[in-house]
Amino acid sequence: MKYLSICAGLMLAAPAIAQDDPNRVEGLAAWDRIFTVTAHPRCTNCHVGEEGQPMWQALGYGPDAVHGMNVRAGESQIGAESIPCDACHVTSAAANTVPHAPPHIDDAWRLPPVELAWLGKTSAEVCTQLRDPETNDGHDIASLVDHLQNSAFVNWGFAPGAGRSVPEGSLDALVHDVTVWGAAGTPCEGD
Amino acid sequence: MSRLRTITRRSFIVGSAAIVGGVAFGTYLYKRDLKNPLLEGLPPGAAAITPYVKIDASGVTLITPRADVGQGAYSIQAHMIAEELDVDLDTVQITPGPPSPVYYNGVVGVEAMPIAATSETLLARTGRGASDVAGKLLGLQLTGGSSTVPDMYDRLRMAGAVARETLLAAAVAQTGLDRDQLKTEAGAVVLPDGMRLAYQDLAAAAAEMDPVTEVTLRDPSEWRHLGKTQMRTDILPKSTGTQTYGIDMAMEGMVYATTRTNPAQGGDIMGFDAGRAEKMRGVQAVLPITGGVAVVADNTWRAFQAVQAVDCDWGPSPYIGDTAAQFEAVAESFTDDRQDSRFRDDGDVSAALSDGEVLQAEYRIPYLAHAPLEPMSVVVKLEKGRVDIWTGTQIPRFMQANVAALTGIDAENVHIHVLMSGGSFGRRLEDDYTLRAVEVAQQMPGTPIKMVWSRDEDFTHDFPRPLAMARARGKVSEGQIAAYDLAIAAPSTAESQMARLNQPVFGPDIAIVAGAWDQPFAIPDYRVTGHRVPAMVPVSSWRSVGASGNGFLHESFMDEMCHAAGVDPLEERLRLCTHAPSRKVLEAVGEMADWGADLAPAQGRGLAFCLSFGVPVAEVVEVSQTDAGLKIDRVFVAAEVGRVLDPVNFEAQLSGAVIWGLGHAMNCELTYRDGVPQQDNYHLYEGLRLYQTPKIEVRGLENGGKLRGIGEPGVPPAAPALANAIFAATGQRIRELPLSKSVDFA
Amino acid sequence: MELTVNGTVHDMDVEDDMPLLWVLRDELGITGPKYGCGIAQCGACTVHVDGLAVRSCQLRAADVNGNVTTIEGLGTPEALHVVQAAWVEHQVAQCGYCQSGQIMQAASFLELNPEPTDDQIDAAMSGNLCRCGTYPRIRAAVHSAAARLRGA
Repeated sequence: MKYLSICAGLMLAAPAIAQDDPNRVEGLAAWDRIFTVTAHPRCTNCHVGEEGQPMWQALGYGPDAVHGMNVRAGESQIGAESIPCDACHVTSAAANTVPHAPPHIDDAWRLPPVELAWLGKTSAEVCTQLRDPETNDGHDIASLVDHLQNSAFVNWGFAPGAGRSVPEGSLDALVHDVTVWGAAGTPCEGD
Repeated sequence: MSRLRTITRRSFIVGSAAIVGGVAFGTYLYKRDLKNPLLEGLPPGAAAITPYVKIDASGVTLITPRADVGQGAYSIQAHMIAEELDVDLDTVQITPGPPSPVYYNGVVGVEAMPIAATSETLLARTGRGASDVAGKLLGLQLTGGSSTVPDMYDRLRMAGAVARETLLAAAVAQTGLDRDQLKTEAGAVVLPDGMRLAYQDLAAAAAEMDPVTEVTLRDPSEWRHLGKTQMRTDILPKSTGTQTYGIDMAMEGMVYATTRTNPAQGGDIMGFDAGRAEKMRGVQAVLPITGGVAVVADNTWRAFQAVQAVDCDWGPSPYIGDTAAQFEAVAESFTDDRQDSRFRDDGDVSAALSDGEVLQAEYRIPYLAHAPLEPMSVVVKLEKGRVDIWTGTQIPRFMQANVAALTGIDAENVHIHVLMSGGSFGRRLEDDYTLRAVEVAQQMPGTPIKMVWSRDEDFTHDFPRPLAMARARGKVSEGQIAAYDLAIAAPSTAESQMARLNQPVFGPDIAIVAGAWDQPFAIPDYRVTGHRVPAMVPVSSWRSVGASGNGFLHESFMDEMCHAAGVDPLEERLRLCTHAPSRKVLEAVGEMADWGADLAPAQGRGLAFCLSFGVPVAEVVEVSQTDAGLKIDRVFVAAEVGRVLDPVNFEAQLSGAVIWGLGHAMNCELTYRDGVPQQDNYHLYEGLRLYQTPKIEVRGLENGGKLRGIGEPGVPPAAPALANAIFAATGQRIRELPLSKSVDFA
Repeated sequence: MELTVNGTVHDMDVEDDMPLLWVLRDELGITGPKYGCGIAQCGACTVHVDGLAVRSCQLRAADVNGNVTTIEGLGTPEALHVVQAAWVEHQVAQCGYCQSGQIMQAASFLELNPEPTDDQIDAAMSGNLCRCGTYPRIRAAVHSAAARLRGA
């Protein structure tokens, strides 16, 4: 498991900033672009929260539904209680080329931490969640950027292969937006 | 249609079934002993006392000619022989034997005739007899129609008894003792002093004797195998990965092939460029075959990869290519000139429905693929005027004839070695995959070719269960069903399938109305009409054939009428039922399900009944609404088969049929675009999985009557019982399958 | 590349991306694992890598990083694994084509979770498709095997 424990002392909670601060406007615009990524089914299919039941949305076939085969991640988040994710989502650095096959990455396939629930959440909810290390797996902006750049999951999200749909933009653009958002003091709608 | 015309049509089809083989010679041929194929090349000292029992120095071999496609046919056939022969099944060889007319199916043809299973009229008895004669003449060595048990029950027990008595006669000759002093046990004749003469040691003497043909079969009270808990003979190999299926066959020098044929049904290949494929690792040849190409390689996966690298120029499909248009063709067939049958026409339906309040409903059911888990696979070796074929098949004799016609090699030099099938559900009543492999083998004589289809090739080249529509009208009066007029329109399975087997078909296609016209209900004005939709994409038999969908059509509207009449669906069926065994089945399922007992508000209970293949089956499904969708909680099944020969497998077949029926009703359809099936793997065509599987309770009734098979009859009531339960739970009446188009399942 | 299957080391000359399933079936002649779908929809190809169930149609030969066990290595007709014995006792198989995969999945599951709940059994075994509908007996056999493994 690569998820970090909470890093104390790195609270990112937004400081009080005037509503018309150009920095804040730029930061909110960057957040809007970030949210189009986090709200994409490529991400939300696994960022499902407490239910621990991954989704099959926007697969390119069939109606949107919960992950077939009654898959449950369980408390382990890797399905250890029943069937581990990597029974099908094997660990491999190779490109994903077979349509409708379970995608693989060069890491153990698993669900993200429960608190990083994105499915069905509003932009403001995800925003406040992501700027708080208590709810973002302990990241400050620097480590968040590092995570984006080095996570096999995030990289796969932008290159899922086999005809899968991709979030708008690119990984570089996402990194840029997170940096801008961070520099602006991680503003969220409704602050 | 007049009653006279109905009768004429009935007579016609019965007559033609017999005439096919030459009815003038029927009696003669029927009584003539067919040639025992086991005698061919039998070494000295070995005996083939009947076509079903071979004994040589290595031991006893039982021939179980009906194919095992998962239904346990080998095991029950072996137990039938063993019951009389007295052998332990774990010490004998069991093989399906060669294709031979002696292994004809004398029962399956009955299903193609408009004779209700409940009928004991002269016509019915004559027709059933004609099927036996016709089967023998045609050499229909066919597995299907839940016919194995009824067809083989007497024959195999007789074969075991004849072999036993002949071995006993050999022992009498050898020992000078009386027959009455000897007994048989565990593969040996036992002398009064306990000395054992093994069957194989008596084989040489028995081979020299005329078989003892006057035998008395044991009374069921003496049975040690049948009717008792048995271990299926294939359980151990199937639990240890040691069962050899067609796809597992291997031999020296074998190469691996796969095909890619036009996914647009019936479309040709106009040209192809194999340049890229030929350069890929392991590829030995890219060859033209009917409708596409084959790649021969040194590994199946390499063949799969390479065949996708062939650039193919596909021609168009000659058929109506889109599902919406296919349904339009069905809808347009409810006309007088497309009327195919009206086997049921009681009372005066037209008059009954000419005034007052008439209930009306229209139903649709989709094309369905067989998709057995083992994809089509076969090994073919063709050399010097001889072809050997190893595969799972339900039609070895037809396959032999079709291969002979394709290659010009005499049928007697076409050797079909039948292997265990990884499922079939009717798919292996077709031999298209074998013919494609033979085309490859013709281009590579002397080399054994193992051809395996990819799953998408298998899905896109199935011969599905046809789609159908029904228009139902009815009337209720004073809390009773008073009139029922059901019209069903569907393409003809028989017309499509029999043409590929080079068999003539005459008269109406019973499959269009099977499971609907022949139900044992005395509704005063009751009519079932079949309409034949002009042929579209090729179709074939699918587990329980016509009844698979007609059960839904007939029983859904029965339920609608019961609700309209305000009468309990079980009570009303019992009131209308004219067939005592069927009534017992309905009563049994009511008792099992505690029918009438209160359910929770979010729950519902549905009943359906269908008599198919001579077996009345009633099912009750209980569903509940949950936050995640509808959940099937419990299913109760009662069926009457005359006698349950293997209680363990009986339960397996019925619960499997329920799961098959429910899963396809919930989730499955095969749709077309430009003639191409749109479902090419299980992610788009998912039957039931374990988490959706309800608790299933099965009861077999044995109220005398004829012995029946149980592989198929459990399927037809499952879909309507579920749809009726959904109505009971939610008030939503669903008239189109799959149900997942209308509701979510948990 | 080297591949250890059922305790035997094989030196293989195959493409990196040949799925383990086809290495086993066509290169080594080990046919217990079955081909059913090629996209992890059916589970018929399930084997163990270092004891954990994996769909061998998804695992590239080059990515195999442990010892492979197939149904043939789990137990034999003469010496059944506990899960196989439960499958025989309950007469689970009909056509049997999916059962190698079902048994391998169940064996790995019970190794990870020796005291499963009904819901966990339903979750663990729902990735394995059975067209014949043997599910009620699969459920029963997993319960039996679990009880026996616990020494009950």
